[in-house]
Amino acid sequence: MTTMDTPAPASARSQPLAPGTLAIVVRLGLIACIGVLLSSLSPGFATTDNLLNILRQASLLFLVASGLTLVIIGGGLDLSIGANLTLCACLSAAAIKSTGQPAAGIVVALGCGALVGLTNGVLINRVKIPPFLATFGMLWVAQGIAYWFMAGQVVYGFSPAFRFFGSGFWLGIPLPIWVMLVTGACGVIFLSRTTIGREVYLMGANEAAAVLSGIPVARRRTLLYVVSGLMAGLAALIYVARLNAAEPGIGEPLLLPAIAAVLVGGTSLFGGSGSLVGTLLGAIILTLIVNALNLLNVSASWHPFVTGVIVVVAVLADAAVNRGARR
Amino acid sequence: MTDQTVHATTVAPAALLRRIPGVTFILVGMIVLFAVGNPRFLSAVNLTNIGLQASLLLMLALPMTLIILTAGLDLSVGALLGLCGVVIAALLVAGWSLPAAVAAAMLVGLVAGAVNGFLVGYLGLPAFVVTLGTMGLCEGLSLVITNGDPIGGFTPVLEAFYRSTLFAVPTPVLVAATLYGLLSLLLYRTRFGNYVFAIGGNKDALHLAGINANLVHMGVYLLCSLTVALSALLLLGRTNSAHPSVAVGMEFEAIAAVVLGGTSFEKGQGWLFGTVLGVLAISVLRNGLNVLSVEPSLQVVCVGLLLIAALLIDRNRKQASRDIA
Amino acid sequence: MKTRHLRRIGLISVVACGLAASPAFAAGEVIAAFTKNQVDPHFEGVRAGVEQMAKKMGATVRQYVPTKPNNITEGMSQLEDVGVTKPNLVLFMPIDPKAQLPTIKRLIESGTPVLNYNDKAGDAPYLAFVGQDDYKLGYDIAKTLFDHLGGKGNVVILEGIKGSNTGDERKRGFDAALKEYPNIKLLASQPANFQRLLGLQVMENLIQQFSDINGVIAAADASALGAAEALKSAGRGNVPVVSINGVPEAVEAVKNGSLLAIAEFNGFKIGCVATEIGLKAIRGEVVPKRVVIPGAVITKANHTEWLVPYQQRTCPAAAEYVGQ
Repeated sequence: MTTMDTPAPASARSQPLAPGTLAIVVRLGLIACIGVLLSSLSPGFATTDNLLNILRQASLLFLVASGLTLVIIGGGLDLSIGANLTLCACLSAAAIKSTGQPAAGIVVALGCGALVGLTNGVLINRVKIPPFLATFGMLWVAQGIAYWFMAGQVVYGFSPAFRFFGSGFWLGIPLPIWVMLVTGACGVIFLSRTTIGREVYLMGANEAAAVLSGIPVARRRTLLYVVSGLMAGLAALIYVARLNAAEPGIGEPLLLPAIAAVLVGGTSLFGGSGSLVGTLLGAIILTLIVNALNLLNVSASWHPFVTGVIVVVAVLADAAVNRGARR
Repeated sequence: MTDQTVHATTVAPAALLRRIPGVTFILVGMIVLFAVGNPRFLSAVNLTNIGLQASLLLMLALPMTLIILTAGLDLSVGALLGLCGVVIAALLVAGWSLPAAVAAAMLVGLVAGAVNGFLVGYLGLPAFVVTLGTMGLCEGLSLVITNGDPIGGFTPVLEAFYRSTLFAVPTPVLVAATLYGLLSLLLYRTRFGNYVFAIGGNKDALHLAGINANLVHMGVYLLCSLTVALSALLLLGRTNSAHPSVAVGMEFEAIAAVVLGGTSFEKGQGWLFGTVLGVLAISVLRNGLNVLSVEPSLQVVCVGLLLIAALLIDRNRKQASRDIA
Repeated sequence: MKTRHLRRIGLISVVACGLAASPAFAAGEVIAAFTKNQVDPHFEGVRAGVEQMAKKMGATVRQYVPTKPNNITEGMSQLEDVGVTKPNLVLFMPIDPKAQLPTIKRLIESGTPVLNYNDKAGDAPYLAFVGQDDYKLGYDIAKTLFDHLGGKGNVVILEGIKGSNTGDERKRGFDAALKEYPNIKLLASQPANFQRLLGLQVMENLIQQFSDINGVIAAADASALGAAEALKSAGRGNVPVVSINGVPEAVEAVKNGSLLAIAEFNGFKIGCVATEIGLKAIRGEVVPKRVVIPGAVITKANHTEWLVPYQQRTCPAAAEYVGQ
């Protein structure tokens, strides 16, 4: 049996095209509305500098959230991304400092990320520990190793060549935005143009059907966790290059915003539907909101509340759209 | 489905043994290890410490068990706990009486539970998403109310209550034990309890049987949020001040405790007493690591290893019993 | 076969945790030293100072740090748990003084001597307080910046964690200095929670909001370094940034010009002096109730002393600061 002639279980819930496109259009509309509103209220908003600033902040969030998006579409969850990022950042920063080679840091970061991801994947898909607990456990293990390795210190001061990835510009656009675009494009192609990508949607929407149609679900899901870990490693490199330092508190505050970006982007936690473009827009919306509140001089105490409202509104809007589509 | 759960309290010894979650063995192992490492671990003072530290987590984890039995979860409990604490403290400082302030907090809990319950129970939205949103709202509201500053200087009655004892047992432990008693009656002796198990197993079947399953589903979230609102009194008694972000993150520990206790995210399988064991395991581990003064970074690793190791044991026992069969 | 293997891994890990725990019960007093997190190098400085002085005076140190940074309830549990082990001396800094005061009072009542260091922890019968004047540090560094600006210009403040004594007192110091300079205008004051990433992102947004920032005051090094990065990549690296603490990384930034100046909040010295005073007190000597270590303003001209890693520094004698 091939994946193409499965008895269409996906149509039961996910309808990958029509509502998905609509969701993205709605989000683009929302961004445009906020944009128009802000540029009339605050002259500082619609400047190239500010827009690039928003995109650069969003790109860091997107990199953390992109791997998580894949995992969630495939029917899993990864709570360890933040701690994984911390560990990769600390280890790779130390590697760069001790060898003087950015390449060593890149190898270490990606290797560490993939290893943590692989451990998650094996615990979840071979030992069959629920994703929530396995990755929550890994969160503590990775964080603890990072504390132990750093021993209260900060690794800082990197060569301009390495820092270019975080704070450099190419064609007038900050490097993290390029990294976001390239990885985003790779991810979109992976999800929509490859067999494995389509299998990811299928096994997220209906695991039983995926097994019946011969998809090696355990192996595919493990692969997704490895990819999520790799993305955490890549994000770690960008963060280190951007901040010019690695410390063991770097990743922990990123977990909930990353999950929020995925959700605001319209990816369903039931698995089987969602997209990286959505997550990209989700990251932009969340960053835009904070930027807007700042430009409007709203006290920082309001940021979490407004973010919460956005998450709830996005979820409700999707629910309404899905109901409409079902009728 | 309902038949199985009716007999849930009267299982054969062998089945009971099988039901004991893997974390129990680790719990026993840890107690032995810590007691050998430092005899004072088993002293009355330290057991009181463990009881006090476990009671608040238990207050969150017990109703969370019911939610997880319905194949859901509630990420908002930590933030809601903080918000209710802030509401009570702010109103007390503003001159309200304690009962009125608590009533206001209960109202906050009611609203939060109703929102969660309606969106999850009636609209069928994923609990993770809904409660993540309400978590943000609750945390945000506490920040807005306090402007980030802790609120202190309210009635010392709360701290006195928290520190009081009855027959040498701290009151918070008794409160948590009472909650356990009430919830196990509710879960194992009433039809509501049967429905809770059934929602996780097969909600549609419940609908077909003519039961308002959506209402039951919403009821579980209401129950949880109201318990959280009441628990805010314990939190205030413990910290003697209300801090907007003090309890953020506790929701993850509560969920971990429930799952350690053998309640699974799927199919309405679980055991309320298992949650007590799960909470005890986490509390004993954290206490023991401090009593033995384990190196701080290792402590962090140990928490993660406890979670993974306990579930590894569970998995292996399930595998083993399947091999025998 | 495989299952047994896995079970063993589980057991070994638990046992390993236990064994790693039992430090040699050396002769001399046991000191339980509390710090707030494992992230900020300032606290590593404190821990290093405590270790060095304890070793010199023949005592053993056990470090307690909450597993989650600055977690209040965890900090309280650790105090309760440490009470059980009956250390000879507790060195305590509050994460939140209001919340932790009742617990620390009970600990003292149960007969454990407690010395308060680093952050003031409310009113309780401590052996002594050893720390610095956060208000003055805030005041001094704000003045340093304002004088550098010639007494006029627009500044922004990156605050610390609200509710922490350190954060609130420093902010009070900034505000007091602001009052003395009528031509200095405060554009915005936002929390950066002593964090680097938050400092970076808050600064990035402030740069967009205000085109005319002349100076930045940060409540701690990490957020100052983040802010300096943001300014540099916006092409405004010439905007002076000042901060408080003086961890080696920040001092290096003073050396290369990314930061203008730092008010010295010296964790290492605090750790050393607190340990010396505490041990002397429990050995029966009369000690001062309050030792306030003065903080220098670290600039390019005098920075070398603070570049030395904590492990290679030598503890000052407490006598240097007594009576000041």
